[in-house]
Amino acid sequence: MSSSGTPHKSRKKKKDPSQTMNTSNEVSLSESKASAQTPGFPLVAFFWPARKSTSQWVILPLVLIIVGLFRWCTGLWGYSGFQTPPMHGDYEAQRHWMEITTHLPICQWYFYDLQYWGLDYPPLTAYHSWLLGKIGSLIDPSWFALDASRGVEQPLLKVYMRATVVVSEYFSYIPAIIILNRKLAHIRGVNEWESSIALVAILMQPATILVDHGHFQYNTVMLGFVLASVSCMFSDHPIWACVFFVSALCYKQMALYYAPAVFAYLLGVCLLPNLHLGRFIAIALVTLASFALIFAPMLLGSLYDAHRGISPPLSITDREANPLFATILPYIDAQSLLYPLTLQLTQIVHRVFPFARGLFEDKVANIWCAIHTLHKLHEYPIPLLQRVSSFATLIAILPAGMIISLFPRKELLPWTLASTAWGFFLCSFQVHEKSVLLPLLPMTILLGGDGGLSVEMRAWVGWANMLGVWTMFPLLKRDELRVPYYVISLLWAYLLGLPPTSLDLYIGKRAARSGMRLSTQLLHLTFYAAMATWHLIEAFVPTPKAKPDLWVVLNVIVGCAGFGICYLWCTWQLILRSGVMEEWFDFRAQMQEKEVKAGKEEKKPLLPPTKGKRATPPRDAKGAKMAKKS
Amino acid sequence: MAELYPSIAQTAVVVTALKILLFPAYKSTDFEVHRNWLAITHSLPVKSWYYEETSAWTLDYPPFFAYFEWLLSQAARYVDPGMLKIHNLGYESWQTVFYQRSTVIAADLVLAYALYRYIQSSPPSSQKSSHAVAISILLSPALLIIDHIHFQYNGFLYGILILSLNYARKQSTMLLGGLLFAVLLCMKHIYLYLAPAYFVYLLRAHCLSQRSMFRIRFGNSVKLGSIILAVFGAAFGPFWYWGQIEQVLRRLFPFSRGLCHAYWAPNVWALYSFTDRVLLLVAPRIGLPIDQSALNSVTRGLIGDTSFAVLPNVDPRLTFALTLSFQTLCLLKLFFEPTWETFIGAVTLCGYASFLFGWHVHEKAILLVIIPFSLLALKDRRFLGAFRPLAVAGHVSLFPLIFTAAEYPVKTVYTIFWLILFLQVFDRLAPVSSRPRVFLLDRFSLLYIAISIPLILYCSPIHELVFGKKYEFVPLMFISSYSAVGVVGSWIGFSIVYFTS
Repeated sequence: MSSSGTPHKSRKKKKDPSQTMNTSNEVSLSESKASAQTPGFPLVAFFWPARKSTSQWVILPLVLIIVGLFRWCTGLWGYSGFQTPPMHGDYEAQRHWMEITTHLPICQWYFYDLQYWGLDYPPLTAYHSWLLGKIGSLIDPSWFALDASRGVEQPLLKVYMRATVVVSEYFSYIPAIIILNRKLAHIRGVNEWESSIALVAILMQPATILVDHGHFQYNTVMLGFVLASVSCMFSDHPIWACVFFVSALCYKQMALYYAPAVFAYLLGVCLLPNLHLGRFIAIALVTLASFALIFAPMLLGSLYDAHRGISPPLSITDREANPLFATILPYIDAQSLLYPLTLQLTQIVHRVFPFARGLFEDKVANIWCAIHTLHKLHEYPIPLLQRVSSFATLIAILPAGMIISLFPRKELLPWTLASTAWGFFLCSFQVHEKSVLLPLLPMTILLGGDGGLSVEMRAWVGWANMLGVWTMFPLLKRDELRVPYYVISLLWAYLLGLPPTSLDLYIGKRAARSGMRLSTQLLHLTFYAAMATWHLIEAFVPTPKAKPDLWVVLNVIVGCAGFGICYLWCTWQLILRSGVMEEWFDFRAQMQEKEVKAGKEEKKPLLPPTKGKRATPPRDAKGAKMAKKS
Repeated sequence: MAELYPSIAQTAVVVTALKILLFPAYKSTDFEVHRNWLAITHSLPVKSWYYEETSAWTLDYPPFFAYFEWLLSQAARYVDPGMLKIHNLGYESWQTVFYQRSTVIAADLVLAYALYRYIQSSPPSSQKSSHAVAISILLSPALLIIDHIHFQYNGFLYGILILSLNYARKQSTMLLGGLLFAVLLCMKHIYLYLAPAYFVYLLRAHCLSQRSMFRIRFGNSVKLGSIILAVFGAAFGPFWYWGQIEQVLRRLFPFSRGLCHAYWAPNVWALYSFTDRVLLLVAPRIGLPIDQSALNSVTRGLIGDTSFAVLPNVDPRLTFALTLSFQTLCLLKLFFEPTWETFIGAVTLCGYASFLFGWHVHEKAILLVIIPFSLLALKDRRFLGAFRPLAVAGHVSLFPLIFTAAEYPVKTVYTIFWLILFLQVFDRLAPVSSRPRVFLLDRFSLLYIAISIPLILYCSPIHELVFGKKYEFVPLMFISSYSAVGVVGSWIGFSIVYFTS
């Protein structure tokens, strides 16, 4: 990684003009002898006939259709909780929310029969469920009949539910990725053809397809909002970035994984290079306003319900279960307007952030679960564990947060998001195995950037994704999704030329030229070998009787180690690319100079010149591209 | 020669992924048919294969296909012996589904190989278009819908057909082409429709001297004759020896069926029936006599024997006469000009004639036209002009085969994908013709393709929203009549191009 460590000044781009094609990812064209060009990996081959002069407007619809087909066909398989009464799974939870939101007064949404999949996502999810429930009830009201519909499993309902996921994705995630991918390509001077290839690579990312369209969830809506927010940051609209990010948070609280990065970036944009007090105030106000707007229907609705005499069914146990409200309760008059409002707000917060639960749920490849296998953690009191995990998370996200607020540059954003999300995933409290989608997304986005399809980047992003989807295998296996798991993940590996299907990235001429370190290659290959071996063992060797979870635990430990490496890599790349090292060395050199020529004046201030130097390359690329176009 | 991308193998890998994901999709009774054949061939002696009738789905394919099923049943034993029991009617454990679906995918390798050979043996100047055509066949939505959702083994069989057509390119391998076609006939007798073209071509190009049609090449004739006899002997010999030929033929050619299949295949008879339905509404006003006995069958919908209320009924002999006479026309040209491209054209026209005029034609038989035609579609722009409406009509006409909600997006979206992609690619690759183009044909095909979109929308979601379950035959009738117009139009267009080039 060292050779291309100094980023966006890649030697590759200098070669460009001499080549027939403008390409910063020349590796995707492999042999640079103009006559014998061949596609670097299978995905490129599919775009080969389009490499000259095919408009993106022809390719894009075809791409959207194909990725949609793979999503839909994954949906033909099982889903979480299929035929497993009494609780079923995530599919039933989502359906149940459509049921309660369409039938209950709004003030009862967060209170109704919490033991059976009570609503525990923020309000935007509730509104979304309401909308989908309303539309679905037009087709067949029995799908969402209150209480009576629990656990229904009709084939047509499944089709409807699957369709809602696909449609929601096509309205959020997919346009967001397309726009962000184009912005990234535009800023970094990647040509349209390569950008299309990267788009397919990103959209075929196996983990997202399998979780949303196989297991059944609506993660892509939240991820779509996050990407839209990042897009806005790329096009210098921090205000809109706030709106979208708040929407993401209010759709699914998991977006908090990105929050420190977003916060630090926006803070940095306000403070550096000069202080923008107006912008800072605007951002703060807009953020508050967005929250208010999104919570408004909820709160106004509860007020209206209180006015009508409808109150949430709050039993004593619930009251005790909601410590937040219990602490506030003595200070509020039960007759005042504040009462329903605070009740509603505290209940939402209490439902959305279940601090009372354990350190981790199920088996998830983060450090707590990994440590737990060696040293049982549940002996410790939960508050202590909470504090430790919060502290660990803080340490983990600190480097990325500091760098991005000191160097608030757009091209560093994906790295920062990835680094903080990995930090959260590895160290925070109450992590699901599905949460790995969050750190994977910004890493995968990198494929669309400068040199995103180069050997090294593909190797890392591909490796992280393969590892991520592999850690979800136990979950997918429970949902009877083994076949789609193999098909979708191997297909992605095949398209990108990754190890189970091809060793081109690590062995052979091209790998040698890529400048990847031997240690990196060995590391990746070892993990791939471990994953393959694990699959063989899991499939053919029964677990020892005393330890029925042994294979899953092994999966967790290997996964955790890999994710830790991903975290380190992302953070290291962020440090390298931010230029903080160079500045440190500059600074040290200057200090030494100073010592030598003591008493002499400093020639130039520290920060600005290096900053200026750093900011130019993107603009150059843009300019060069425009020149070429004309 | 530059390598062509994406290669057949690369495409095959990706499309195989899609096919595997379709495992749990809807499957028609053909799935049970093939399971039953696995059971029959596995558990009964060859002698009783064509007599067994525990299931309604008796063995009605020729012996080679039965042997093929026997081969598959050998491995099926290790997967789930349950599927090999004759009395396990409707048995579909997930192992059975996985196994049967996988055999279809595996058998598709023959198609991929055939297409690979086809690209390799086409002349360098046209290799690029051959490559495009080969990929289009490999990705054919018709094959995806029929084989991987509905369930059949067409990809495999058409692979053999393409291999055989390809071998017929050169004198040196022509014999092999004939042999493969004979094998194909002994696998599925529907290919008899194409046999006249083979007969004339092999006769003229292989058995008669190239310079004079009156000089017979005895060596070639004897070789070809004995090979074909040997193939048929291997297939039917045992049954002939046991005196079962009559029974086998009765199974292969059930003449008791009606003129039109349950869904009308988009052919001339669909237009004929459509006219009859329209006349039925108009008849009382203009005083035409109505056959009252036929009314029942009209109101019953589309199933069963078709009889017409206003128009005269159609005799099976008439359909054969029509089919044969149209086939003869194109064969005459082939006889006097026995080039490979004319041969492919003649095969296509034989397919057309039998599809358009045949008795009890399945809509799936449209592949008999589409696949040979694809091989010619890029010859020049006039061919492409005739191909376009066929590509639309042929695939749209298959939609009623799959009527379940979950598969609806797959069939429509995939077909639309294929049409956008390949009509575009073909348009870019087809060379300009040396002869003038056929007047209005292009405008016609554009209009025709445009109509397909509202039609598809109407026929599935809109009709059901408006009328519910009532008038179920109306959308079906629209689809077949619409497709029939396209198929007939492309047939006329292709005939003009064929006879004038």
